[in-house]
Order: sequence, then C-alpha cells, then structure tokens
Amino acid sequence: MSYELTPEEKSESPVKEDKIKSDILTVNMGPQHPSTHGVLRVEIKTDSEIVTEAIPHIGYLHRCFEKHAENVDFRGVLPFADRMDYLAAMNMEWGWCLAVEKLLKVEVPRRAEFIRVIVAELNRIASHLMFFGTYSIDLGAFTPFLYAFQEREFILRIFEELSGARLLYNYIWVGGVWNDINDDQLKRISSFVTRMEGEVEKYHNLVGLNKIFVERTANVGIMNEELCFDYGATGPVLRGAGVNWDLRKNRPYGIYPEFDFNIPVGTGEKGTLGDCWDRYWVRMREILESVKIIRQCLDGIESGPVMGKVSKIIKPPKAEIFLRTECPRGELGYHLITDGNKEAYRVKVKSSCFTHVSMLPAVSPGLMIADLVATIGSIDIVLGEVDR
Amino acid sequence: MNQAAVKPLTVKSYFHNIYEAVTTVFKGFTITTRYIFAEKPVTIEYPEVREVLPSNSRSRLYNDVENCIACNQCATACPVDCIYIASNRRPKDAPEKKASDGTAIKLDLIQYTIDTALCCYCGLCTTVCPTECLTHTTDHEFSQYTLDGMKYDYLTPEIIAMRDRIVKK
Amino acid sequence: MLEEIVEAINKKIPEANATLNKAEIGDSTINVDSKYILPVCKFLKTEKYFNVLQVVSTVDYLPVEEKEGQPAQEGYIEVCYILASYSKNLELILKAKLPRGSAENLPKIDSVCSLWSAANFQEREAYDMMGIDFVGHPDLRRILTSQNWEGHPLRKDYVVQEVFNGMVVNPPEKMNLPDQQFGVKNNANSMSNKNPMGM
Repeated sequence: MSYELTPEEKSESPVKEDKIKSDILTVNMGPQHPSTHGVLRVEIKTDSEIVTEAIPHIGYLHRCFEKHAENVDFRGVLPFADRMDYLAAMNMEWGWCLAVEKLLKVEVPRRAEFIRVIVAELNRIASHLMFFGTYSIDLGAFTPFLYAFQEREFILRIFEELSGARLLYNYIWVGGVWNDINDDQLKRISSFVTRMEGEVEKYHNLVGLNKIFVERTANVGIMNEELCFDYGATGPVLRGAGVNWDLRKNRPYGIYPEFDFNIPVGTGEKGTLGDCWDRYWVRMREILESVKIIRQCLDGIESGPVMGKVSKIIKPPKAEIFLRTECPRGELGYHLITDGNKEAYRVKVKSSCFTHVSMLPAVSPGLMIADLVATIGSIDIVLGEVDR
Repeated sequence: MNQAAVKPLTVKSYFHNIYEAVTTVFKGFTITTRYIFAEKPVTIEYPEVREVLPSNSRSRLYNDVENCIACNQCATACPVDCIYIASNRRPKDAPEKKASDGTAIKLDLIQYTIDTALCCYCGLCTTVCPTECLTHTTDHEFSQYTLDGMKYDYLTPEIIAMRDRIVKK
Repeated sequence: MLEEIVEAINKKIPEANATLNKAEIGDSTINVDSKYILPVCKFLKTEKYFNVLQVVSTVDYLPVEEKEGQPAQEGYIEVCYILASYSKNLELILKAKLPRGSAENLPKIDSVCSLWSAANFQEREAYDMMGIDFVGHPDLRRILTSQNWEGHPLRKDYVVQEVFNGMVVNPPEKMNLPDQQFGVKNNANSMSNKNPMGM
C-alpha cells in the first residue's frame, strides 16, 4: 500500500505546497485521546518540539440537532437539547424553554423560577468540578480527579431524586419545571454548599497554588481581549482575559436581578492576563459565586405551583427570536424561527465551544506540545456542544 | 502572540523558586495525607453491594397491558418514535372491560412493542399516559446479547412475568 | 435604536437598500441587499461599535405554488448575521436574501472573514449545511460532515444518499419495518406507520 497522497487528497489538504519544509513533523492528536475531552482531532505540525500550526478537525459527534428539532414538537426537543452539552444539561434546556416562553408569552410561577436557578447553579458547580478534575489529569495530577468526583456525586444524586436521571435530565419544561422539590432536599443542598466553600479552598491549595501547576499554566495559551472579541469568545475565556461581561448581570433573564453576586475576572496575577491559570482561577471563583446565589435562593424560595398554564399542543405564532443564556462554558444562543405549526421551522444553536475551538489555530504557534494540551484543557470544550 | 514577558532569572529568583516549590508541594502533601488516615472510603463495592436508586429513577419501562386503553398518546409524545402500537375496535357485543381506575376500554390491543435500544429514557411517554399503566421502573440491569432482544413485546407472557419483580407500588 | 441604524446605513451606502422588519413578538431584523453585505458590515463594525460576530445562521424557504388568492412565491435562502456590541450592550440581526441555486451552481455571497475571524468556522458550517458559496473565504470546505458527503443536510428538500463509502445508509433490517407495518398488515388502527424521527 502506497503512502503517497492521491491528487484528490492533495487538493483537499489545507496546507499550501510551498509551506511544507523538510523538517516539519505532522503529529496527529487523534479523535481517540484521553486529553481532548471527546472526539476532537488536532493535526499538529511541529518543528522539533515547538508547534508551528495546529488545525482542529471536528464533526465526529455530529448528530444534527437542528434537523431533529424541525421534525419533533416543542416538548420533544428537550431530550435532544440535553444531549448537546451533556455536562450542563439544565442550562441547555433553560435556554430553549426561555425562547419558547417568550414567543408564547407564558408566565412562569415564582417557585419554578427559584427552582430553575437552584438547579442551573448546581449544574454549574458540577460542570466546573468536572473541569477541575479533568484538567488536573491532563497535566498529570491524578489525585484531584476523584476528590472532585466525590463532590459531584452528591449533586448527581440530588438530580436523580428530582428528575429521575443523573446526567440528561429533561427537567426544565416550557412553563415551569417537572417535579417539585421538598424541604429535605433543600436542607441537604444547604449543607452541601456550606461544605463546598471549604473544598474550593482545599483544591486551590492542592492544585492551584502548586508551583508545578503554576509553571505549566502561567504565561501559556494567552488569549487577550482583542483576540477574544475578534473570534467572539464568551464565558470564562472572555472573563479570564479581563473583560467584565456576564449575561446574568448585563442582560439578565429569570430572577437573576434579585440576587447579589460578583463576577470573577482574570487579573494576570501569576503570569500574563488571559493565560490558562487565569481561566482556571475564574472558574474556581465562579463556584464560590454560585454558592452565594444558591444560598440566597434557599432563603427566599416561595411556595406555590411549579408549572404555568401551557396548552396541550404548543403552537407559537409566526415569529423569530434570538436569545442567549450563560452556561458554564460560555453563552449558548438559540435562533428560533417558528411559523405556526407544531414543530419549529428552523433552529440554529450558537454554541460557545464551537467558537473556542476555532481559536486554536491562532493561539498555538510557538507553544510546545505539552502547552497545547494545557491550552485545550483550559478552554474546557465538550464535543457534544461543538458538533451538536 | 504567545511571547509573554519573561522575567530575567537572577540568583534571588532562582532560590525563591526552589523555596516556593518546596513549600507549596509540602502543603499539597498535608492535604493528601489527611485522606489516607482521616477520611473514610466512599467506594461502594459493586456488584456485591448494590446502591438503592430513588423511586422515580427513569430506568427500564414497563407497560401494564391490562390497563392500557390504546390511546396512542405515548407513541405521539415519543421524540424518537420507538413505541409501536396497533389496536382493533372491540365488537359491539363483547363484554365490557374497564381499566383499574374506571375508564372504559373500547379498543383491543394487538401490538404493543417498545424498542428499548432506540428509547432515550426521557420520560415523556409516562407523563402523558392517562391511566398510568406505562411507568418507569428502577431496574437498570437489562443488557442483552442481540439487538433484537431489546425489543420488548408487552403482550407476551415472559415480559408480563417481569411485573412483580420490577414494578413497585 | 434600530431605526437610527437603518437610517445611518442608508445614508452611507444607499445602494444597500436597508429596510427594517419590525415584529411585535420576538426580534426585529434589518434586511440588506446581498451584494453590499461587505461595506455594510464594515460600516457597522468600525462606526457603530458592533465588533463581535456571534453566529451566521441560514434559513431555507421552498418555492410556494400558486393557490387561490395567493400568487406563486419563489424560493430563497436567507443568511442572518447576528452581531453584538459588548461595549454598548446591543444585539442586531442582519439578513440578506439569496436565490436557492442548484447543486452545480451554489448561491454566492461575499465572505466577512476579513472583518471578524469568527466568520471562518461559521461560514464553513453554513456552506456545509446549506450550500452557500462564500466568495473570498480562505479555506472553504466541509466541517461537520465528512469531506466526501453529498448534498447539504439542512435544506428542506434534502434526501440522504443511499450509499456512503461502501456502507448502506439506513439499512432496511435495522429500520424495524415489521413492527411498523404490523397494524397495516392486520388491518388495524395503527399510529406507527412512519419512519423513526419522522424522516
């Protein structure tokens, strides 16, 4: 079998012929790799150890959510929406339900709004714990993975009691939530968040301040403010670059205006502004802010129904809406076009992980391969959301 | 783009780096040593010890065909169309049949098959069932050797025999 | 706010024919002519502070035949550029209409990659899913489907190919056809005589 490229394969390669030098080695960080957080293929061209070009290839998990949403009714889209970012499924559902509720002009009861905030913030804590565990494993520290998963286990058990499933919930429905939450569960959540504050302090001492971790992540993978705006980065990537922008404060939805919390922003204290350490520290502080929000929710939760008045068959009028919500990985936007039928006419999902993967070719020249692994881990992608 | 301002390496910063490395790694060691001696293990030794799932856990589906009125609501609500239902009108002179909550049954069910390999365990079919004969049970160990074995025909006696083991009420 | 932007665009680039499409429910949009999309986007980026391109979304409208009271309508594809300004907390949906074209002759529009680098991956996805040729894009090839896939999946008249790389797409023995046709064969009332997921 010959290893020469056929003329068709040569013409579809993105590398121009005159750029190939004789001492550049192509390394394939293939779709099956423990550090790519899913099926992402990165074609790395290296000059000894320094990366000259890194080209991401995606599409291995493409299930065409947008075509399914045109053939299923509005309630049936929720299981599909869960499966996009499976580690933060509550936020995916909340965005869809908000878009449909705005078109139907449905009023959501107060208790349901409080429950939505509690589960979304708990899911944010679970997602950031997952980031902490897997980022440590990417860099070679095997212990914090299980510490993070032990805490995350509590959250998944609460979700199983509430909705019936551990990871793909189908819990936030159009008009409210599915099941009610009882006082015993609220008490357990309250004791969990108190424990969580001490845990974040412990994780920061174990991993974040460790000199080895700092040397591997500070001054590496710098995404400054100009690059972030050029590519449209959002979420912790943008906040790590120093920009004070969070949708929960700047364009609030639900009952977020009633809560008092801060927005953690990167400061470049261990290296440069916008490096991997800044993004890690922004996510750790976001766990503490979520704890603050959950405490205020638990103090102020009201009693009442958990489901508003929604007709049996959902038929919004002919309209168009674009709505974004703040998910743990960035901003998820739904561009929804309806035309009066039982199914949507067109759904387009703006996913933040898709834009973050597109930043890799701009950030990688000059890094070493180990630094590239650290950068890919710090932007925290989930391939279900990249490929949809 | 990635050329950050590298601080020059002086003798003072060289020794400061060593001091910082030793102190931070030692602090990490105190945290992990505490886990060896003071924390209890949290591992559950499956399969000798099984965890008890909460009662509304969405695992294997079960349909009680005696109470099913063949209204097709579950088949319409399913987002992946994995429920196959066929029914006949009962003849006029057949004796009256009622479901357990009093609804009259007007249709004879001749096919009720769920392909559990296609099912996504979302629970939408159980919320629309009017007599609540279709429920999720907590049984989660039901793997098969062939894909055809995942198609459950709820009218066959083998599947009906599962009822007492898995449906709790 | 949107009316001022439309007036400013019409003053600067009158050939673009910018019109406001006001909606009571949902979002209002601005329509421009597709040939002048690049000058309009440059104006919005440099003078109106819209320095972030969020998503390039595409919608397909099939041609409608003539019915009583309604004239025949041509089919068209709409390309929506959703811009945002973080400094002024604004959002804008900009639309351009294109003809549907055919498999050999895809509709063409200028690429905005020179203004926002975010457009690189977004336009590749629009080409892959809807079949729009972006003139001036540095590297236009398929992104989410395989490189030798035929057809553009999100078009309304898309039919999936029968064979891909020697494998049969949708093999009949995996489609549960006997279960679906049970009711029809036994002359009974059956709801399940359609393909899974309605396709």
